[in-house]
Amino acid sequence: MRVARTALEMGIEPVGVYAEGDTGAFHVGRMARAVSLGPGTPLETYLSIPRILDAAREARADALHPGYGFLSENAAFARAVEKAGLIWVGPPPSAMDQMGDKLAARRSARRAGVPIVPGTEDSDTDAAAIAKKARELGFPVLVKPSAGGGGKGMTLVERPESLPGALEEARCLAEAAFGDSRVYLEKLLERPRHIEFQIFGDKRGNVVHLFERECSVQRRHQKIVEETPSCALDARLRTAMGRAAVEVSRAVGYVGAGTVEFLLDERKNFYFLEMNTRLQVEHPITEETLGLDLVRAQIEVADGAALTPAWRTGKVFPQGHAIELRLYAEDPATFLPRSGRVLAFEPPSGPGVRVDAGVEEGSSVGLDYDPLLAKLIVSAPDRGSCIARARRALEDWVVLGVETNKALLSAVIDSEEFVSGYYTTDFVPRLTLAPSRIPDAAWIAAALSFSESHAEALPVVLPEPWDAVKGWRSGR
Amino acid sequence: MKLSSGEEVAEVLIERENALLDGRRVMFDASRRDGRLEAIRIGQDVFRIRVAREKERVFVWCAGEVREFRRAGRRAARMTEAAGGLAAPMPGRLRRIVAKAGSSVARGDVILILEAMKMEHAIRAPRAGKVEKIFHAEGDLVEAGEALAEIG
Repeated sequence: MRVARTALEMGIEPVGVYAEGDTGAFHVGRMARAVSLGPGTPLETYLSIPRILDAAREARADALHPGYGFLSENAAFARAVEKAGLIWVGPPPSAMDQMGDKLAARRSARRAGVPIVPGTEDSDTDAAAIAKKARELGFPVLVKPSAGGGGKGMTLVERPESLPGALEEARCLAEAAFGDSRVYLEKLLERPRHIEFQIFGDKRGNVVHLFERECSVQRRHQKIVEETPSCALDARLRTAMGRAAVEVSRAVGYVGAGTVEFLLDERKNFYFLEMNTRLQVEHPITEETLGLDLVRAQIEVADGAALTPAWRTGKVFPQGHAIELRLYAEDPATFLPRSGRVLAFEPPSGPGVRVDAGVEEGSSVGLDYDPLLAKLIVSAPDRGSCIARARRALEDWVVLGVETNKALLSAVIDSEEFVSGYYTTDFVPRLTLAPSRIPDAAWIAAALSFSESHAEALPVVLPEPWDAVKGWRSGR
Repeated sequence: MKLSSGEEVAEVLIERENALLDGRRVMFDASRRDGRLEAIRIGQDVFRIRVAREKERVFVWCAGEVREFRRAGRRAARMTEAAGGLAAPMPGRLRRIVAKAGSSVARGDVILILEAMKMEHAIRAPRAGKVEKIFHAEGDLVEAGEALAEIG
């Protein structure tokens, strides 16, 4: 969807792919052309390299953009695409390999002179060595799968005696989920901030950063609200972290769009966490503050173009503030996923309000995919007005039929911590969702809806448009 | 009619432009477009409204918030706890069966791994015993509260 819009603007004909059961799905409906991947589960369709390559051949495609889910971080897929004679709109497979293996990524970062979160190395495999290292790091520690990333499959270990069991379970889970049982330990930083830098490289060896995104608003170790610029960085720290991000990327010969993630501790020390070798879900806030199209740049770079001179000479400066809020189909208090049918979907609009949606009225929300329904991206000249705009847009957003985390998003941007700008990754779980009083109008609307016969008998008493009626103030 | 939303319950009676909310009289006007409820005015306050109904549930967007209403007392059949067994804590996909039916397990052993979105959950034996039955195959989708296994 996102990619197709840019392609159309560049005069490129986009062709989408879809699984047989998905013919009514939103992304197919908006695509100029779409090729079937045949029937089956996501594993047999969107995650099947041969089926996708067959579809590309059928469509006589020149290039393939992997989006930002499914196979976008799969180096074997990138290699297969290149072998099939197509242009891969993404980083070189070798860079994906190095960054996809989190242990190798930590090694690359350290070799590039960038600080990494203290933890264990590849060579630490026997139980005694790991236990010793854990004691040196100090509990609590995190056990992370090397093939994971993005918080997937990680376990918190509070006490030395739970370490052996946790390692055992983590290895078992890692084997089941990724077919790779290697795990490593990382020291748990107290109240860190999670800050990432957008990176861009071309095929001529240029690598630049396009500033940061503050990603500390998380639940279940996944981001739900991102903003740029970050309140935690001053010019000096921004320069240092940006340079480190570029060094890490250069070290693996990075090309295209990527993201280097850092943790920032309370004393403003930063540590390399991992690199995502694709466009991030939250890339639009960078686009809004820099006034550019990252997908367009991806396609141009894949086609062999050099980064624009302004980027290479550091003449790109962010303007104003942008916030992204992710609307998930989930319980706002327990964060457990929800499914159902979208009965009404009216996204907010107005200046500085952008909605990238994956659903529309009538869409069904299943359990097969990530429960991200849509992203709201707001931008404004300064942070205060950006927050006010986000609040207004959230209130205007009508999504009926599936429970969403909208109330949680509102609670985040209304919280003292978020407004102050000084928040850390442990902030969302501490929020309490105070149930607000149900307005009389909502009870009446519900009752009217339940008793259709009553509704039909009700006369339309108000003239339209309502603006013409004097002396009313808008109710809240 | 008696309505509930979350923890709250109210008796709502409507007679033309009068509503009785738990005995309290509220005068209102309703505005419709193509038969669809668009707004409710109470006194000088105007509330933009969107409603959608699906069987026993009505969803209302009002004053910037979405709420779900049900007819109280007509509650949908409650999910039964799987007696002596293991129930799925959330909807998801059964990723792997670790302890096959017939095998003996100690308390805390992993029986199966459930994946919901980006989380993997180890479902463990609540006590020592024999895995009598696994109700699903690897790859099956399960609903929250659905029985996964039985420990004898």
